[in-house]
Amino acid sequence: MEIRALVSAMWRSRTGPILVAAQVAITLAVVVNIAYLIQQRLETAAKPTGIDIDNVFWVRLEAIDPDYNYEAALRADLEYLNDLPGVIAATSSNGTPQTFYSLGLPFAPSADQLDKGGGQGARVFMADEHYLDALGLELIAGRNFESSVFVPPAQDVPSGIAAWAPEVIITRYMADKLFPDGNAVGKPLYVGLVNRSSTVVGVVKLLQGAPMPIEQFALMNVLVPIIPPGPNPFYIVRTEPGRRDATMARVEQELADRVPGRFMSQIEALEKTAAQARFSFRSSATILSVIGVFVLAVTLVGITGLAAFNVTTRTRQLGTRRAIGARKFHILRYFIVENWIITSVGALVGCALALAAGIKLSTTYALPRLPLYFLVAGVVAIWILGLLAVVVPARRAASISPATATRMV
Amino acid sequence: MLLHDIRLALRSLKRNPILSLLMIVTIGVGIAASMIAMTVYSARAGHPIPWKEDVLFAVTMDTRENEPPPPGMPLRNFEYPPFTLAYQDAVAAYRSDIPRRSVMMYRSGQLVTPERANIKPFHVPVRVTTADFFAMFDVPFRYGGGWSRAADTTAEPVVVISKYLNDKLFGGANSLGREITLGGRQFKIIGVLDAWMPHPRFYDLSGGGFDLPEDAFLPFEWVRAGRIFPQSINCVRRTARVVNFESLFTEECLWLQYWVELPDSAAHARFQQYVDNYVRDQQQRGRMPRPLNNRIVNVSTWLEMNNVVGDDTRMQVMVAVAFLVVCVLNTVGLILAKFLSAAPIAGLRRALGATRLDIVRQHLTEVVIMGLIGGALGLFLSFGGLRLLYALIFARGLESSDNPARLTLAQSFTHMDFPMLLLAVALSVLTGILAGIYPAWRIGRLTPATFLKTQ
Repeated sequence: MEIRALVSAMWRSRTGPILVAAQVAITLAVVVNIAYLIQQRLETAAKPTGIDIDNVFWVRLEAIDPDYNYEAALRADLEYLNDLPGVIAATSSNGTPQTFYSLGLPFAPSADQLDKGGGQGARVFMADEHYLDALGLELIAGRNFESSVFVPPAQDVPSGIAAWAPEVIITRYMADKLFPDGNAVGKPLYVGLVNRSSTVVGVVKLLQGAPMPIEQFALMNVLVPIIPPGPNPFYIVRTEPGRRDATMARVEQELADRVPGRFMSQIEALEKTAAQARFSFRSSATILSVIGVFVLAVTLVGITGLAAFNVTTRTRQLGTRRAIGARKFHILRYFIVENWIITSVGALVGCALALAAGIKLSTTYALPRLPLYFLVAGVVAIWILGLLAVVVPARRAASISPATATRMV
Repeated sequence: MLLHDIRLALRSLKRNPILSLLMIVTIGVGIAASMIAMTVYSARAGHPIPWKEDVLFAVTMDTRENEPPPPGMPLRNFEYPPFTLAYQDAVAAYRSDIPRRSVMMYRSGQLVTPERANIKPFHVPVRVTTADFFAMFDVPFRYGGGWSRAADTTAEPVVVISKYLNDKLFGGANSLGREITLGGRQFKIIGVLDAWMPHPRFYDLSGGGFDLPEDAFLPFEWVRAGRIFPQSINCVRRTARVVNFESLFTEECLWLQYWVELPDSAAHARFQQYVDNYVRDQQQRGRMPRPLNNRIVNVSTWLEMNNVVGDDTRMQVMVAVAFLVVCVLNTVGLILAKFLSAAPIAGLRRALGATRLDIVRQHLTEVVIMGLIGGALGLFLSFGGLRLLYALIFARGLESSDNPARLTLAQSFTHMDFPMLLLAVALSVLTGILAGIYPAWRIGRLTPATFLKTQ
């Protein structure tokens, strides 16, 4: 077919095509970058946690009696919780993973490195021998804590941390980072700020502290066998599948009153906690997808509108072409090709815009650069969109009867 | 004449109802998206205390190690000094008599144990601060007032409570002189605040900056007397050794917000000098290895440094404006199509004596009317969109709080105020004109003869 004739015809009334191409360009730039941001956010929200989130809940109690015996109450509570039917394990800690609360310290494989490089920051979770079971973490090397190593509760968090403990369990991510030669178990780990060292006794496969886009902030985690400072206990409990809600109800009923001088301030399924931590990612992904759909819809309407207008103004010309031998297929092809050229020009400009916007985004959000397959997918999507938009007007054009030409002269 | 133009415009709009509707909806959706994004933006971008812009300053000192930024950290954040001070540095700054007022403070939480047995004990956020806090930030009092600087150093057991706490514990009555139990200790109430919600909570932007002020305010020395631990501490240096509560006061740990009120720019310069000299002196002693980078900044700069508006909000505005541009381009095309298809009518009018200007004006009237209808639709859609946004995002977790200020805070994010309404009207007229100016000019330029011939 005569592409040259088609292009030169288009050039003679270029305003419409230019408008459509400009629209397509901006749409492509916006949609591709939005899609990338959505993908990043959903990916962050969906990353595995290593935790048996569905079957875990946590409880916070507040002591109000100045004579409250924290340590005795803690032992009694843990015994009660661990003996409850349906409970796999219960532990006490300073807080739960899947929140943005954090207690961070610098760590390094040698004292020297700690002094020179400052060490690598990691989140600290106080734990006991039930911690791994209470969260459903998988130990892949070494062993669990033994009950003899536990450091008794200190007066406050800084003193508790300062006393530190002779053993730690770390995540595989952290082991790979600090001990790249492999086998972290048995090696010493130096702790900044408190200036201590401990032996790594175990490595867990995965423990995501919080859903964060930067892996280092999410996966660098240390378990340390310190009994959390009092007087307000915090327990994490894991149940057998399906028994979480019943157990929660029972604990809510019974736990606080087992020891006088305190009350329960919060009890929550970890599922809910984790969903809250992901809320901002999910909500911004939703907002962005709504905008994306609207942009695409408006562009679709725009392309259709202009194509329809072209068909109307060219009715006589089309009739004539049909009269002198063009078949329906030729007319259809003419419109589709014309539209394809316009959207492709727009898409080309759009790619440049998308890349420019992508560079800007990657610097503000500290994201990796926009991957090229997003652009390719965007161009394909725009082609499909253009085709969909032009199909109806083009078919109408093709159905113009050759007689129209004679009638209108 | 205007009436005539309007009548012609309406007739033309009715001639092509589907096309007209399409254009109006396109404009409406574009304006709605922009209005929603800009409303959310303006709710975050406001100045909480504009009348003190020239006298109120946040004080920062660059106490960091001389190290490159950690991987993944945006460089913009790295050039700023930390936003909180170490105790020893805050105390040193507090010794200066250059500022008219100075405040060092931090946020914490305490358990309130009500006298009345029917209220369960509950946690409230607490601010431990020096005396100037209330005068410095123009905090409104319902009853009583703050404490003297002397009360700071002696840890006098006095407290200023929020309106919410007073309502909850005392039914809103004048509670001056009564006692409340905070963290197991008795404090005498010397002040009750009126409703107060700086938006954003500029004096402490930790946690994003859009939270309520604290419910209880205690004299500064209570940090030691009550061992009230700060909510957030950042120990910066490898040399810091945290061994117990006292480490807070001796080690390289940052936890204090610091603000000054300086009467004029000369005082600002002198105080900057004072801080710089102090830091130089510390550098002599081997602390603060980075080059001088102590920023004493006004509220606007402070909000900017803390990125209170947020990258997401800014990006949403950009995307919404890009969307509006797509909508405008779209409408230009559709209007052009429509005008050209009705060109013979314009030609006929020209032939009958209408001037070129008449034609342009008549077509512009049509697009402005369309813009206004689209704008009205857009406004309607943005109210709906904002309500949806409120219900889905901002109203989350409201049911778990009995503090009515939480509701006000939540609503403030999606509240479209009068200037925003004006902006919506301006935007719709502008959109109409932008979309219509080229097509109207095109149609005015056509020579009448061309069209009369084809008739």
